[in-house]
Amino acid sequence: MTALDGVDLVVPAGEVHGLLGPNGAGKTTLCKILSTVLLPTSGHASVGGHDVVRETADVRRIIGIVFGGERGLYTRLTARQNLEFWAAMYGLRGRTLRRRVDAMLSQIGLAERADDRVEGFSRGMKQRLHLARGLIGDPQVVLLDEPTTGMDPVAAREFRTLVGELRDDGRTVLLTTHDMAEAEAVCDRVTLIDNGRLLATERPAALSSWISTYSRVDARDVPAERVPKLIGELRDIPGVTAVRAVQPSGIRVETDAADAAPQVVRHLLDSGINSVATSTPDLEEVYLHIIGERGLRVSR
Amino acid sequence: MLPRDLLAPFRIIRYSAANAWADMWVMFTPASWTFGYLSRLLTQVIFFALIGVLLDSPELVRFLFIGNAVVFMAFEAFISVATTTWERRQGTLPLLVAAPLPLWPVFVGRSVQWLPTGLLSSSAALFVLGPFFGVTWRLPQALAVIAALLVIGVSMYCMALVFGALVLAAMEMRNMVYNVATTVMMMICGVMVPLTFWPDWVGAVANAVPLTHGLAAIRALAEPSAVAPIAGEVVANLLVALGIGAIWMIAAAVLLERLAGIGRRSGSIEFAA
Amino acid sequence: MNALAAGFIFEVRLLRRSFDEMMVLVTAPLMTLILLSITEHAGRTDLAPYAVLAPALIALWTIALFTSGEIIERERQNGSLEPLVATPVAIGSVITGQILAVTLLSLVGFAESWLAAWAAFGIVVPIVHPTAFTAALVATAFAMAGTASVMSSVFVLSRSVRAYQNSLSYPFFVLGGVMVPVALLPGWIEPLSRAVFLSWSADLLRDSLTPEPVTNLVARTGVILALGTAGFLIGLVLLRRALDRLRRTGTIGVA
Repeated sequence: MTALDGVDLVVPAGEVHGLLGPNGAGKTTLCKILSTVLLPTSGHASVGGHDVVRETADVRRIIGIVFGGERGLYTRLTARQNLEFWAAMYGLRGRTLRRRVDAMLSQIGLAERADDRVEGFSRGMKQRLHLARGLIGDPQVVLLDEPTTGMDPVAAREFRTLVGELRDDGRTVLLTTHDMAEAEAVCDRVTLIDNGRLLATERPAALSSWISTYSRVDARDVPAERVPKLIGELRDIPGVTAVRAVQPSGIRVETDAADAAPQVVRHLLDSGINSVATSTPDLEEVYLHIIGERGLRVSR
Repeated sequence: MLPRDLLAPFRIIRYSAANAWADMWVMFTPASWTFGYLSRLLTQVIFFALIGVLLDSPELVRFLFIGNAVVFMAFEAFISVATTTWERRQGTLPLLVAAPLPLWPVFVGRSVQWLPTGLLSSSAALFVLGPFFGVTWRLPQALAVIAALLVIGVSMYCMALVFGALVLAAMEMRNMVYNVATTVMMMICGVMVPLTFWPDWVGAVANAVPLTHGLAAIRALAEPSAVAPIAGEVVANLLVALGIGAIWMIAAAVLLERLAGIGRRSGSIEFAA
Repeated sequence: MNALAAGFIFEVRLLRRSFDEMMVLVTAPLMTLILLSITEHAGRTDLAPYAVLAPALIALWTIALFTSGEIIERERQNGSLEPLVATPVAIGSVITGQILAVTLLSLVGFAESWLAAWAAFGIVVPIVHPTAFTAALVATAFAMAGTASVMSSVFVLSRSVRAYQNSLSYPFFVLGGVMVPVALLPGWIEPLSRAVFLSWSADLLRDSLTPEPVTNLVARTGVILALGTAGFLIGLVLLRRALDRLRRTGTIGVA
């Protein structure tokens, strides 16, 4: 089984780079290769100028990796004890170690709960501790693999601030996610990946335009006798790709032009239909559109 | 507590036992049971029997051999202390409590898969290893030994149910309870030394354990002397073992129903541990 | 060196919270009583040292088998094995530190055994040759840690070997002459016994508890240390193989 195929990517120092793709796209595999946990079967990868296969120790010294989810912490130990262990794993010792751990605990907001056992922590607290664990070695390059999995929106927003701080520190960040909005909010550039292949690298603004380009509009409570006529009218609006009736009394409109959705909404409202909603496509749909209808677009 | 349909408990036991049998083969393959589990049991018997060699006493070798071979039957019956808790961990306990029929037959059947394996272990030890340690059997004695092992297994199982019921209230202790109980059994039930070695109060406790009487029966059977004089002794010991087992069983049934009642009132019966 | 210390401290902290790993230390004194009851009933008080030593060695080995032997597997199940691999520190040192912590803690079994003998039978087994005893004990602990590192790697490399984990106890107690010296066992067993450090340790420790002078102390201690070193080396090789497999295939063991 090939997890990654023909990945060719350069991330300059100091950039926050997003790797966007659905589950199974190969994002975690790439992170594992970059963090020297997995050996590539062919090709090269280097981090900070060090080859991951031949200069493993050098790579490990400069990276920090955070896998999403909750596993990986020692729940029977306290937060402080967890960080102390990992700090030692990054070669820290003595007073330097203790000071770094204290600083880290403050930075992630767990200073008061530092001496409580992790098993009593909420999910959000555990995730923050995960982050601290990945950053404890003061890494130049930070790999964040789906770090906001399962985070509530508030925590996710705090996390984005943190990523900004990492950039301000001058660190290089590779962030993998399947959330387009997150990729857009946080990254300098975003690479799309699917089925182990790179599809495109874009600026986040491009993502926004895709999101709005492929929007859809849903109308509800449309009187039955008006449905056929409305469908015909909507089809005539430029940028509308599909219109169909949805039971029991709705209409769905799909678009592929950025300004089409607002026009559809205006038309519906003018026609006296008040239950109107727009929704944004999810990643799968965007991919389908890009790959299926337009072919690959590569731009750097 | 007594069901109107008198056969219902037996049916329940049968179904519960089928469940238990299936569980067992998740843990073991025939290969890993034989070469893993059984071989370890046999080496354990050898370990203790060899002490007789250290003490330069063939009678002691035989004494230790028989005691340690028989004790496995009791150990296997006692594993139910740990496995009874599976109902609670699997979350099926509240469903069982909510069912119209009593709870205790489920637990009776839940761990019976250990009985045939216990019989196999002890028999393998006694009959296969026996000759190497100076213990040989004639056929009638061998059959009587198997009967005695069954008595030990069943009666110890009843005792184990009480411990299992108690452990339901403190599940994290189940392995501790099992290990301590079985080690104490090895110590006081006439496995390693006669009961007379220990103070009287220890002997009294040992006599409440069915194993003590079952083992005495098997030791009598192992004597190479005439059959008739010992038959009475053997039968008496086995009847005592069964009787004590029955008392433990009643205690277990009462305890389980009471625990279910307490659990219902205090809300401590959860759907998942 | 720091990795070793970090692993050691970490494991001590972890063990403090999960006592059921040390359940063997609850049954160990009971085993002392069992063995002493046999020797006392036979009127052989001179064999009390045997009865007190065996449970301690049994505890040492059993804890190594079930706690040290599970260290790598524990990390794997915890999801912390790969992050550990990704750190600059040598993972072998960390694990060795953890194993040392477990081993040292399991030496408590010795104290417990002596205490049980005194509490139940009023027997105090004197340590007749303290230098020899200390040397033997330290070497034994070292060898146990080395053997435990093999266990740790083997159990994570091969799921099917792990199925036999439970049966790696008593066969070694017999082979190792833990209670009944190897000299009293059938002759063909001796080569097997001598490959297990337990046999050397048991003999040496027993000799240090009996009045006769201890012979060849240096040589015998050396053998124990050598066997322990061999264990560490084999354990390291196996660990490297396991990590290699992890890095090449993404999984660390085979079914």
